[in-house]
Amino acid sequence: MSQVNENTNDKLLIDVGSTYFKMSTSKGVEQHFRDFNKDIFDDLTYKCGDTINAYEKEDVYICSSANGGLSTLIIGISNSFSLKYATNIAFNSGINIIDTVLNKDIDTTSRPSELIDVVIVVGGIDSVSKIFDEKLFNFLNDINYSNIVYVGSKKEAPYLSENIENLVVLPNIITNKLHVEEENLKEYLTNLYQADIMGKEDIKHLYDITSNQIFSTPYIVNKTLPYIGSKFTVANPYILIDIGGATTDIHYSKDLVDENMVTENEYDRLVFKKLGVYKSKESLIFAAKNNEFVYELLAHLKVTEHIFDETSEKATTILMQLAIFLVLCKVSTYRKAYINLKLHALNSIVFTGGISKVLKPEEIEDIVSFFYQKILSSQHNPNIVMDSNYDIWTLGVKEK
Amino acid sequence: MKVVTGVVGNDIHVVANRLIELSLQARGFEVFNLGVNTYLEEFVDAVIETDADILLISSLNGEAEGWARELKILKSKYGSLLDDVVFMIGGNLVVGTGTAEDIVPRFKNYGFDLVFHQVDLNTGLDALEDFMKERNK
Repeated sequence: MSQVNENTNDKLLIDVGSTYFKMSTSKGVEQHFRDFNKDIFDDLTYKCGDTINAYEKEDVYICSSANGGLSTLIIGISNSFSLKYATNIAFNSGINIIDTVLNKDIDTTSRPSELIDVVIVVGGIDSVSKIFDEKLFNFLNDINYSNIVYVGSKKEAPYLSENIENLVVLPNIITNKLHVEEENLKEYLTNLYQADIMGKEDIKHLYDITSNQIFSTPYIVNKTLPYIGSKFTVANPYILIDIGGATTDIHYSKDLVDENMVTENEYDRLVFKKLGVYKSKESLIFAAKNNEFVYELLAHLKVTEHIFDETSEKATTILMQLAIFLVLCKVSTYRKAYINLKLHALNSIVFTGGISKVLKPEEIEDIVSFFYQKILSSQHNPNIVMDSNYDIWTLGVKEK
Repeated sequence: MKVVTGVVGNDIHVVANRLIELSLQARGFEVFNLGVNTYLEEFVDAVIETDADILLISSLNGEAEGWARELKILKSKYGSLLDDVVFMIGGNLVVGTGTAEDIVPRFKNYGFDLVFHQVDLNTGLDALEDFMKERNK
């Protein structure tokens, strides 16, 4: 078997999603719907065992978004800098579940009851001290978390280390020019993601079939974006939308935001954690019903709201079209999310993930046009690019 | 002393912004320049992150009134954290005509301690230094 690999310089690339396994070999890409009654490893080896067995462990590369991701709570001292920078780094590290607390409000903030994988504490440039006090310690005493990391002012670190058990201190993510410095925290969070995989019973056995590090899928996609031109004709600035079963990711060119944020990476990511067409279907429908334009959109698509109760192929198509519309709304000035994108300046929208297998380009163009006309009162029509063969993911894994 | 500065709102006067930064540095201030096109909230947040003594907002195209009048609300959100900060605004503060007699009290009412409408930079900075000396006596 290894002779085959030597001859073809082949690699086996596997993406474990919340709904599908995707597998890429030199022969092409195949995808399999997951059996949720089975352990991920057992399901994967049952469906794709022959292919997997044909490869040496060092030739198998896996990325995954199926372990649910890390839940993160960020405590910062301002919205525009500490919270925004840490959130940006967390998104770019592949983290999906992010909550934030402003330190000045910490004593009146309700305490989350669920276990948090990592708490990030951040604030101030390096010369600033006396930022945090016992209110932070009281808050931390009231919540359950597995890891805690401090990435704020250097001068404040000794005080926090004395008072917070097991605190990991990393270099400040806010430079003395108030810019963001992302590498150290990004590396920490990426490593934590690995540790999380190793600790999850149904996913840790994936290391039985690969000797390479397993990365989170969105982290891999984000790394691919600088090379996207080698596979597609994409005009900058662009956004990449990955509508999955559980979450929807948007990766966007920095040119689309005016925010006071400077990073080496030209592309950032944000996630809508309860917007998917399979596992998060109910919350997607809930979001749709709360959008004042949704009934107009359903009429435009020549269906009624009864479609929400159906499980047909047509219903999936409509849900995906709704997801596109809602995501664009969320990043526009109409519904401000974590960030507003300058959608009038957008030249291309790249679609990847399951959506590129279900919707036809003209169906997507129809929704995008509807969004621009209804929400932005514009005739602007960005170019639609379909990653129908998961080239972005495979390119990303190979680059990694 | 630390100063956060920048140009507020839809205003791209980069040269003026750079001159203000250089003048402040020449007078010995530690400067955090947020550049042009900055939102009011970002200014206030930068003061928090840097523990600055002074916030100096400039506005050259006259849009300051639209962009800076919510200062009191933002200050109140941070409570006592901003009690010792000096808030200063200068430049061409309104669109159209208007006299300093009308404009200065209006901006002081918005929450600024020092207001300079169509006053040259060095005069404004001299006044800032005098104000700080007087305050720190």
